Amino acid sequence: MSDQNNNIIEMNNVGIRYDQGPEILSDIKLSLAQGSFHFLTGQSGAGKTSLLSLMYLAQKPSRGQISVFNHNINFTNRDQLASLRRHIGVVFQDFRLIEHLSAFDNVALPLRVSGMDEREIRKRVTELLTWVELDAHMSDKTSTLSGGEKQRVAIARAVINRPDLLLADEPTGNVDNIIAGKLMKLFVELNKLGTTVVIATHSDKIINDFPYPRLHLQNRGLHIYYPADTSVLRGINV
Amino acid sequence: MSENIYISRKQELPLKGENTSVFLQVIISIAVFIFAITLSGVLSIDSMINNWNRSILGSLTVQIIPTDETDKDKAKAAALAYQEKAVEFLQSVNGVLKVTPLSDEQLNELLSPWLGDEVNINDLPAPRIIDVKISPDADIDFTQLAQDLAVASPQASLDNHKLWLNKLIAFADGLNLIASTILLLVAAITSGAIFYTTQMSLGLHHNIIEILHIVGAKDAYVAQQYAKRMAFLGFMGGVIGLLFAIPSIFFIGNLAVDIEGGIISEAGLSIFDWCIIFALPLFSMLIAMLTAYYTVKKTLKKML
Repeated sequence: MSDQNNNIIEMNNVGIRYDQGPEILSDIKLSLAQGSFHFLTGQSGAGKTSLLSLMYLAQKPSRGQISVFNHNINFTNRDQLASLRRHIGVVFQDFRLIEHLSAFDNVALPLRVSGMDEREIRKRVTELLTWVELDAHMSDKTSTLSGGEKQRVAIARAVINRPDLLLADEPTGNVDNIIAGKLMKLFVELNKLGTTVVIATHSDKIINDFPYPRLHLQNRGLHIYYPADTSVLRGINV
Repeated sequence: MSENIYISRKQELPLKGENTSVFLQVIISIAVFIFAITLSGVLSIDSMINNWNRSILGSLTVQIIPTDETDKDKAKAAALAYQEKAVEFLQSVNGVLKVTPLSDEQLNELLSPWLGDEVNINDLPAPRIIDVKISPDADIDFTQLAQDLAVASPQASLDNHKLWLNKLIAFADGLNLIASTILLLVAAITSGAIFYTTQMSLGLHHNIIEILHIVGAKDAYVAQQYAKRMAFLGFMGGVIGLLFAIPSIFFIGNLAVDIEGGIISEAGLSIFDWCIIFALPLFSMLIAMLTAYYTVKKTLKKML
């Protein structure tokens, strides 16, 4: 995707506010290189979800510039934004699955909107749902699945089209340690294949087990800590 | 297993189960019913005007106004003499195909609906009439013809039917205008109903649409699902409306035929007109589909 430079996302002096309220995030400056892996941390209400929503192009900043895949989103039209989103996989804390659809149809969604052949969709979705151990629930409506199962469907939907950028908001929050470890390995594998990954998490265990840089939101600003420095944040509720 | 999954693929937006579907279908049915009745009226009026126009294009009437002669025989002889002169003149005019003076019997027959069967034209100071058939493409200056006729036969008066027919045509045009306004209003109300129910539905399914956007769906992807659903509702509503409208059209047609006088009976629907009426479900389908499609596109533009 990025021909001009290696940065998947660039933010300059980005601020975001809702209605006439105070800024949730101020003067955010960030560059995410292609193939990088970051954790996003910060206390509840620090603005993690807002920052992620800027990254997956769900909203525009109140001020500043954001470039995603070298497209300045202030000058990108709706159809181009949709095309850019096809290169981004998102896992939400609340899953955001379409409840009346089956697990299969939910996972197939990104492929269907991009017009992929149904035969290829069947092959890919079946393969991935089997991998996340949901092959027995493919035809089940997601409203009937447990929290952990929904989580896995949401993750499968995010990675099904092998995105260039994967954003996850507490992706392991509803699964046991074994499944959490397996899902993290999936993210690491995708990262090794070139996917840029940003995971918002509160889990110290995950942060400790996977020594990647941390984007930490505090006092409306963004601070970057690299693995050697992460000890400075121990004790802070992240 | 995968075959079952493929077959059971569902639309992302659950538009089928919406309560507004029944409401919209009823609205569209009523709209198509009114549309069909009004349209049949418009088309009938059009055919009536065309028939009248055709009739005045092909014929003229010349009246021989009775003289002041009090003696019946002399008056008749004078009228016949003027009639003969007028006939001679008219036969010499370019574009005139046939000149037929009406006989006493024919004149009596014309007067009998008003004066009874016992009427005798020779007892009345009634004008004699000459029916003139002219070629439809004849280039005749009627004003000049009337002047020339008055010279050739001073008691002759030319009537090219324009005067009374123009009044009727103006009246029919007025009716047509009202009917066309009704058609436009019905189409506008239907589009409005579709517009607002689509907007309501978009609000209702806001979360799903957001998910579709996040996974990369373009507005057209969402709009097509609405357009498809509305096309179905538009077509089915149209068929139902038409099923009620057709017997009504026949019923009104029969009432019109019962009216004597030959004016209403000039109205009628051609095969082409019926084709237009039977195409109304397709028309309602198109209106519903396009309205929904562009409503969705317009509404989603307000989202990122």
